[in-house]
Amino acid sequence: MKMEKMKKKRVIVIGGGAAGMQTALRLARRGIEPVIVEKEAELGGKLRGWYVLFPTFTPASEVLNELRRRVHECGIETVLSAQVTGIAPRSVELADGRRIDGDAVVVATGFSLFDASVKEEYGYGIYDNVYTSVDIERMLGEGRVAKADGSRPKRIAFLHCVGSRDEKVCQQHCSRVCCITGVKQAMEMKRLFPDADVFNFYMDIRMFGPGYEEMYREAQQQYNVHFVRGRISEASPMLDGRIQIKAEDTLTGRPLRMSVDMLVLLVGMRANDDNAALAAGAGLRQSPSGFLAARDHFLGSVRSEVEGIYYAGTVTAPKNIGETLNEAAAAADAVAEALGA
Amino acid sequence: MSFFAPFCIPFLVGAAAMFAVLAWKWGSWLWCLPRTDKRLILRGLPTRATLEAVGEVVGESLLHRRIFRINPLLGYMHMSLAFGWFLLIAVGWIETMACLGLHWVPIQGHVFFRYFSTGLPHVAAFDFLMDLLLLFVLSGVALAWGKRFFSRRMGMRRTTKHVPGDRVALTALWFIFPARLAAESITCALYGGGGFLTGSIGAWLGAHVPEFGLMNAESVAWWFYSSCLGLFFVAMPFSRYMHIFTEIPLIFLRRYGLRSGEKATSYDEFQVEACSRCGICIDPCQLQSVLRVDDVQSVYFLRDRRYGMLRREVADNCLMCGRCAEKCPVGIDLNTLRLNARDGLRNVPDERRYDYFKGLDRSSGEGKVGYFAGCMTLLTPRTLSAMETIFAAAGEQVWWADREGGVCCGRPLKLAGETDSARRMMRYNTELFRKHGITTLVTSCPICLKVFREDYALDGIEVLHHSEYMLRLLRSGRLALRRGATRFTYHDPCELGRGSGIYDAPRAVIEAVGELLEPEHTRENALCCGSSVANTAITDGQQVRIARSVAGELEATGAEVVVTACPLCKKALGRGTAAAVRDLAEVVAAELK
Amino acid sequence: MAAINFGYTISRPRAIDLDRNNLRKSDEILREMPELQTCIGCGSCTAVCTAGNLTEFNFRKVHTLVRRGEYQGAYEEMNKCMLCGKCRLVCPRGINTRGVVLLIKRKLGDF
Repeated sequence: MKMEKMKKKRVIVIGGGAAGMQTALRLARRGIEPVIVEKEAELGGKLRGWYVLFPTFTPASEVLNELRRRVHECGIETVLSAQVTGIAPRSVELADGRRIDGDAVVVATGFSLFDASVKEEYGYGIYDNVYTSVDIERMLGEGRVAKADGSRPKRIAFLHCVGSRDEKVCQQHCSRVCCITGVKQAMEMKRLFPDADVFNFYMDIRMFGPGYEEMYREAQQQYNVHFVRGRISEASPMLDGRIQIKAEDTLTGRPLRMSVDMLVLLVGMRANDDNAALAAGAGLRQSPSGFLAARDHFLGSVRSEVEGIYYAGTVTAPKNIGETLNEAAAAADAVAEALGA
Repeated sequence: MSFFAPFCIPFLVGAAAMFAVLAWKWGSWLWCLPRTDKRLILRGLPTRATLEAVGEVVGESLLHRRIFRINPLLGYMHMSLAFGWFLLIAVGWIETMACLGLHWVPIQGHVFFRYFSTGLPHVAAFDFLMDLLLLFVLSGVALAWGKRFFSRRMGMRRTTKHVPGDRVALTALWFIFPARLAAESITCALYGGGGFLTGSIGAWLGAHVPEFGLMNAESVAWWFYSSCLGLFFVAMPFSRYMHIFTEIPLIFLRRYGLRSGEKATSYDEFQVEACSRCGICIDPCQLQSVLRVDDVQSVYFLRDRRYGMLRREVADNCLMCGRCAEKCPVGIDLNTLRLNARDGLRNVPDERRYDYFKGLDRSSGEGKVGYFAGCMTLLTPRTLSAMETIFAAAGEQVWWADREGGVCCGRPLKLAGETDSARRMMRYNTELFRKHGITTLVTSCPICLKVFREDYALDGIEVLHHSEYMLRLLRSGRLALRRGATRFTYHDPCELGRGSGIYDAPRAVIEAVGELLEPEHTRENALCCGSSVANTAITDGQQVRIARSVAGELEATGAEVVVTACPLCKKALGRGTAAAVRDLAEVVAAELK
Repeated sequence: MAAINFGYTISRPRAIDLDRNNLRKSDEILREMPELQTCIGCGSCTAVCTAGNLTEFNFRKVHTLVRRGEYQGAYEEMNKCMLCGKCRLVCPRGINTRGVVLLIKRKLGDF
């Protein structure tokens, strides 16, 4: 009897960021034909805006370029500039009316960034010299970090938990990566401006990853970064363009005010803006924070509650790059297993 | 002829008890009024106010015009009961006089005239008229039954829960008119007479029931009717039906200029007992419609206060948005009563409190125009910098009262009931304003605005909300704006709209920069953002739920930008929507020419 | 102000002794307002505080001490509050801070 050649299974990966690319690569290696649907004009996702990665100061481009190279090498089909409007277990609908069919769907749509201007009291978008951590990465990447007037900052304050753990903006969850980002960016600032004083204002410092605690310690001891336990409550402009900030130094129990040249807001990860619409259409469940809820936290962490739809990366919760890449591999394996490939 | 039968006793006793209690209540309340209020009454008595009050009594206590305007069916129910009963009494009186001439007849003679008049010749016109009136009242009773069981069909989502006194009075009231119908019909059956209603029923009874049975039934029916009346009269002063009589003096006192204040007086008793517990205040309450909190609304607050069982949780759980007061058919000053109840629960005079105000002055700048940002505005710096831009564009020299921090206006503390301490804050700020010689005081916070206008003695200083101020600048040509195609919608802050009557100024300003789209509830009916400082009881999550419901309505207008004119509303709405929420000043500053 | 010492100076050489402190009032307060337990001590309330901007008043510290059974002077301290509500607008845990002030005063006042 002649063995009929089995038709290759085809899996749609929504999102071409770190999670999406890694999932696609892993699927391809397991003999499945992935197709990446990306809403931007190029692959890479949020990683494109990053300069170096904690805790090793690895250039983000190194990771990104390698992933892109492999995707290209494997000849993985990519559909760019395509906004997904609907998901079903075996197909996705695009905004332009096209439909892509497959045997399963992996949702790797990632997160949305918290809009710092919502926290009006911090003055983002109102005063010069108030930046977000994303602005700083961009400026680092451009090789030009400076105050709005182009001069060198002498005093820089980082504020943790902007748009995270804050019921006032309906974001109860911890974004996890901002603490270490604050430490990383503080160290970069010290490298660029050794004379500058750098302060980190925090509520809790959460160093959950490997090497993070060591990095925190290094920032304190080697880089002389100051850590003040207290959340900045208000920022106001001064005549000379600097920013005056107010906080309580909770460890001494006294109000603290200081003027800084730059105020950097470490913005958190919000659930992807598209989650609600996608979830409603496909019968997926959202957790209270708005992230999509996996089937369970342990053995079903990459499975949705709908058969044939899988998750990878920050669509389910804030994660760092390493975790995202691992989860993407796990998602691909789960898909492959289910498809019998 | 004799006008007495034993069955009259319950009625007579009840009526006597009721009038005694009424006299005692009104007498003591009037007696306990503050001297200034008494003087107002004496001064008002010989003026037009008295005539106007009489007119209002007819319009409201009898005809219930305000309820009609809110809910016609409910208005008819109240009118048929009040006006119908009144006419029954008045026409009955005339009937007695028409039959007997100007002859003194004891009260029970009028009330039970049909019983006593069996020997007299009948006047068909009166028989008809009295039956018509009885039918009129009975239709109201039927509606009242209906309202109990099908409140939604009456246009009310909720109806009030009762206290025992109410149940007694309500039950008696329900049976008074059916009992009267039965008693009169039976009498007609035995002795003839009666109109289309009692006469017809009487004729039917006469044809179908043996006379012996009717004789017994007549006695029972009149006893039952008299007992219902007596029971109602005894229960009335202790039930919600006290409003029937209390609304009348309230209307007079209000016309004479009496008002409730931050401290309770016996005038409040007139207001509290004038509440008919109609429950119209329940539906507009967002704590009810959004949060399903249903034991704190004004009707329950007044009930609890009246019977001395007011709990702090009830007194505190109110946004004081004023949506209920806007709808109250009796025009009770609900917010002020809530406020002075809180004062009674919480005010503790402390002379040393806020000693730290002494010598304090964080103000900056100099000018005839003072700007008071208010505590909340310090957390909405976009408003603050917009005001700065606007002042500069208009070439205004400004004294900044509190940009570097200052003393709160005092309204939040006052609203919590600590009125004496709030006065200390007001005194401090008044002195500060005087010291800097300002002639105009601009504030972008409606909470501050209201307290400046109502509680501060700022003679010689004009107090303006920034919406009014900006409109003035526009009209006088000191500001010029670009008008674009942006579509705005406007959220009326409670303290600005219902609280201070400012609806048009912000709208005029918005229309100078773009198109204005009105949400479903607007102006006097505008919704509260839910974050009112007046409420210290609801949780953050509950505030967000209210904000979401309000924001949803604003988004539904299709506007690109939600505009409001209060820092607190702005913060609150921002939590409920992803759309842009701007203060009026920001909108203006962005479109300066 | 210096003349009145409400017991919140840093120099007070006294440990908080949870074995000896009577937590009854504290428990009552937390029963009425369990959300106060969610305070993460970020200090936002104290930093924005209108009163704290003018005088020595630390809302966070006072309510934390009260939760530890340290009631002395708490009422007088809370009386410095003007109830303006800024703290409620910034609390990342959404604690009804104005309610906390009123509750602590009610539970620990003499009336």
